[in-house]
Amino acid sequence: MNPHFRAFSFVDRITRLEPGVSAWGHYAVPAGVASFPISLAAEAVGQLAAWAAMAALDFQVRPVAGIAGRVGLFAPVQPGVGLELLADLKTVESDAVAYGGEVRIDGQTVVQLEDCVGPMVSVSEFDDPLAVRSRFELLRTNGATPGAFEGVAAIPLNRTGGERGHSSSARLEVPAVAPFFGDHFPRRPVFPGTLQMQANLELVSWLAAELMPPTPGVAWKPTALTDVKLRAFIAPKDTLELEAKVIAQSAESAIVAVETRRNQRLAGSARVVLKPMAAA
Amino acid sequence: MTPNPPTREEILAIFPKVAATMADALGCDLDKVKLEASLIDDLGAESIDFLDIVFRLERAFKVKIPRGKIVEESRGDLSEAEFEHGGQVTPAGLERLKAFLSEVPPDRFPTPLPVAHIPRLFTTETFCKLVIRQQRAPGTEGEAKPA
Repeated sequence: MNPHFRAFSFVDRITRLEPGVSAWGHYAVPAGVASFPISLAAEAVGQLAAWAAMAALDFQVRPVAGIAGRVGLFAPVQPGVGLELLADLKTVESDAVAYGGEVRIDGQTVVQLEDCVGPMVSVSEFDDPLAVRSRFELLRTNGATPGAFEGVAAIPLNRTGGERGHSSSARLEVPAVAPFFGDHFPRRPVFPGTLQMQANLELVSWLAAELMPPTPGVAWKPTALTDVKLRAFIAPKDTLELEAKVIAQSAESAIVAVETRRNQRLAGSARVVLKPMAAA
Repeated sequence: MTPNPPTREEILAIFPKVAATMADALGCDLDKVKLEASLIDDLGAESIDFLDIVFRLERAFKVKIPRGKIVEESRGDLSEAEFEHGGQVTPAGLERLKAFLSEVPPDRFPTPLPVAHIPRLFTTETFCKLVIRQQRAPGTEGEAKPA
């Protein structure tokens, strides 16, 4: 089955649109997927913002993931739920879109994005411009048939080192072939930045499990990603070295700096805010 | 008519806030962000960092910075053809650029100077001046003084 607009697309319908200003949309998380990582909910907002930005610039350019000032992670997203998406565009220009937004479930905000910037690239370099326009028309009218997403197969993260309770490192081998590459993007496959951030969150969760909790019965949980910056397009078969380091800790929070390197060069970075919460 | 260039006092007044913004964007120590530091050569900035810095400065100073037009602004009254030819800055363009980027030591301008090389010349002070010019622009709600 053609993965385009199926394997890594998280907007089913654009319900309201002011091109270049704001957009509202909807996405139904398929009930059949094993899980829906919260980073994919953030991806959905980014994709909605991308549609609104592309529509404002006549589909000549499209934004890609670049910078997120803060991504608040308030609640997990379960398969089968409906996501209400909102993208609020601050500026749209030929070189970048600045936006924020959120994901709500039954009126409750589960993910919030602030101070995001998506650098623009040529649509035709990454995708078929006619197919993109036609998809937009579908999203604005009848909407796409929900349920196309079949999940993302687990990409193993192999621990390579670290110091217990202080740092942790791991290697991620980007697959050579995966359905999401056919959607992200058909003409130039790129390992999605949100999957890179999901891997970072997984690495941080290992580290968080080793951190001494401030009081018994609680555990450190990620509540936000800040200062997210993606510096390079990651291609199929790339090898990524991930590292997480605790850079501050108090009774109320812990901050973990995460870095992703490819060929020793920094490809992405972020900070993860951990808060003590009731242990599961 | 060329507007008055930013004064030393104006630059020094906003430098601490510009430096803090840049340190946040680049994830580096504040004391590394000197006024004369080259963003690329000294602070290791890449193109995504320039975007980050500009958006952070816009939020910090409540100004609109004409991204991508920094080079265009540096041309001043010169037409594009007078400023560059075949991807290289012309002698007239170089004169104009040296005046616009007066904070950059003359020996940092290579000859010939590829247009693509211009951002390599930018320093922290370049961005201070950029913010000041935008604060002076009519209709800007920006702050005249640092917070």
